[in-house]
Amino acid sequence: MQKSLIPDINPDPTDSEEIRRRGLIRILALGLLVLSLLALMTIIVFLFIYPEQWHDKEILLAIVSSIAATITSVVIYQINKYSSKTASLLLLLLFVTASIFSDTPEQLADGRSLFIFTIPIAISSLLLFPLASFIFAALSSIIIVFLAHSVPTTPNPVAIVGFFMLAIVSWLSASSLDRALRELRVINANLDQVVIERTQALAESLSRERIEAGRNQAILNCIADGVVVFDRKWNAILANPALKGMLDLPIELIVNKNFRDLIEHPRLSPRSRGLLYAMMEHDTQPPSFRVEWGRKTLSISAAQVYDHSKDGDTNLGTVTVFRDFTREAEVERLKSTFVAIVSHELRTPLNAILGYAEMFKESVYGPMNQKQVNMAERIMKNTQRLLGLINDLLDQAQMEAGKLTIQMAPMKPAELLENVHSVLDQSVQEKGLRLTSEIEDNLPEVINGDSARLQQILVNLVNNGVKFTDHGVLHVRLFCPYSGRWGIEVSDTGRGIPESELPYIFDTFRQVDGAATRVHGGFGLGLSIVKQLVNLMNGEVKVKSKVDRGSTFTVTLPLTVPEADMEKRRML
Amino acid sequence: MSELALIIEDDEDLAHIFAEALRGVGFEVELLADGQAARERLTKGTAPYLILLDMHIPHVSGGDLLTHVIRKDERLAKAIVIITTADARMGDAYTDLADFVMVKPISFIQLRDLTSRLKPKD
Repeated sequence: MQKSLIPDINPDPTDSEEIRRRGLIRILALGLLVLSLLALMTIIVFLFIYPEQWHDKEILLAIVSSIAATITSVVIYQINKYSSKTASLLLLLLFVTASIFSDTPEQLADGRSLFIFTIPIAISSLLLFPLASFIFAALSSIIIVFLAHSVPTTPNPVAIVGFFMLAIVSWLSASSLDRALRELRVINANLDQVVIERTQALAESLSRERIEAGRNQAILNCIADGVVVFDRKWNAILANPALKGMLDLPIELIVNKNFRDLIEHPRLSPRSRGLLYAMMEHDTQPPSFRVEWGRKTLSISAAQVYDHSKDGDTNLGTVTVFRDFTREAEVERLKSTFVAIVSHELRTPLNAILGYAEMFKESVYGPMNQKQVNMAERIMKNTQRLLGLINDLLDQAQMEAGKLTIQMAPMKPAELLENVHSVLDQSVQEKGLRLTSEIEDNLPEVINGDSARLQQILVNLVNNGVKFTDHGVLHVRLFCPYSGRWGIEVSDTGRGIPESELPYIFDTFRQVDGAATRVHGGFGLGLSIVKQLVNLMNGEVKVKSKVDRGSTFTVTLPLTVPEADMEKRRML
Repeated sequence: MSELALIIEDDEDLAHIFAEALRGVGFEVELLADGQAARERLTKGTAPYLILLDMHIPHVSGGDLLTHVIRKDERLAKAIVIITTADARMGDAYTDLADFVMVKPISFIQLRDLTSRLKPKD
């Protein structure tokens, strides 16, 4: 296959020289044959008209010459097939011989028919080699001298000079022709080489491409996810075997079909159909979404394919990856049910314990002494702690399941601070600390936010500060660092966090002191929940800390103001 | 005569605690542990002054009772409705229909203080 792409080129220049000469001799031999035959016919016609001339010596000579020329031209023609050089030599000698007999020796020596000799001189340099014209000029001169000597008379010196002049001209033109041809041959050879190289490169790149395509196909065939590639009109141009297995459809019903045919398949749920049509119609889609295919849940992610060229990006189509998500979806469903049940079943008895303890404390069923009241308070406090831990665990579980959502509504930042004070003032004071707070003037009075979750962030941050501060102040600041953002800053005067631990403090179940040496209670979920909530709100949380000096946590969030409030602000 | 309070709550202990809190401030208390029974009671008999309604109860959900029974009945138009739920989000969904939303865990003291403020002064 590869070989056939390369033309069979033999760059031997002698070959073309041989061909040229052979062609030339063929023409000359044929011309000579025609002339000889014409001469023969003319003589025959002449003898018919004048039959008495039969005995003329000259006529006989002419007949013999014509026949000899005819035979010789045929012989030359045949020899030419095997060796053009021999044929050339024979042809030239034939011309010379014919020239000798073309006129009487007197006339030839005198110069009447000398021009006949010029034919072999002129063509010898073309047929044999450029300098051959001099050989034939010399040969012709010797013949002339010889003829003149035999007559006897003096040879025509002008003719001899003429022969050599012609030889020079022939030699010059033949050698320049030869040079030109040689250059042409070199150019041709170079050109042939370039063609060979290009053809070879093309063949190599084609075979490389074929290998590459084969490799890509093998990779595609081995991918466990279903892959289908659509062109710009959503015709499936490629699909892998995994997709076939996943959809349980023959590949013919997928490839070369429009995506609409697949979407209209009865196994697809109506909701999923809507999602897929939305994917087709709007180029922007969430990174991945799920569809119900029969009893299976498939996760689909689609990406546009662009060809990046100088003229800009051209959309080539869409690559869609299908992943069997049935098991994961089932686990998620179970997890979410579990979370809901646990949430209810754990909180309800704890609520009862808390309620009964409060009833003790409040002496609902008769007076209690101080010790009993203290005990009831301890029960209440521990129950509250347990409830807090359960809430953290449930929040964590919900976030992991992706079930926790942020619900934005107009809210007042000032209320956030009021609530934090009402929830935490007591525990702050019990530890001998102070909780102070401020709101910067540039923060709008009403903003959009999820107040319950913001409250949780703030409480977790302050609680964290209380836990790790033995004396001093906890300070909460709400501020507006720059347009479009607002922030919550919680700083303490606690023991601080070692630099080596800073990268891990937002990790789940992590406390700076390890599990075996824990001094502080809790699951280590507080900061992790803060981080995750802040991420859900498209914000970020940072911490700065110095050992024995304290820590500062800064949360920055996108700032939007409810529209009604915007109007008010503009009017002000 | 003391005002009637209906406590619709399926957990026996919580119902007991809530009842003690309400009795403590002078309400007459009637307990209902089931959505179906609550619907029947709400459509007949003395109209309560206050309803403490749990959102998660058997047979008929607290949400349905609130939407389709309590807020549709002329006799109950004046009743003060406090909904209790373990799910803060669910509480948010019914804020417009209820007078108060209490998210579990509900403190005895908190409930007692709230209802004492709601009780008409003699």
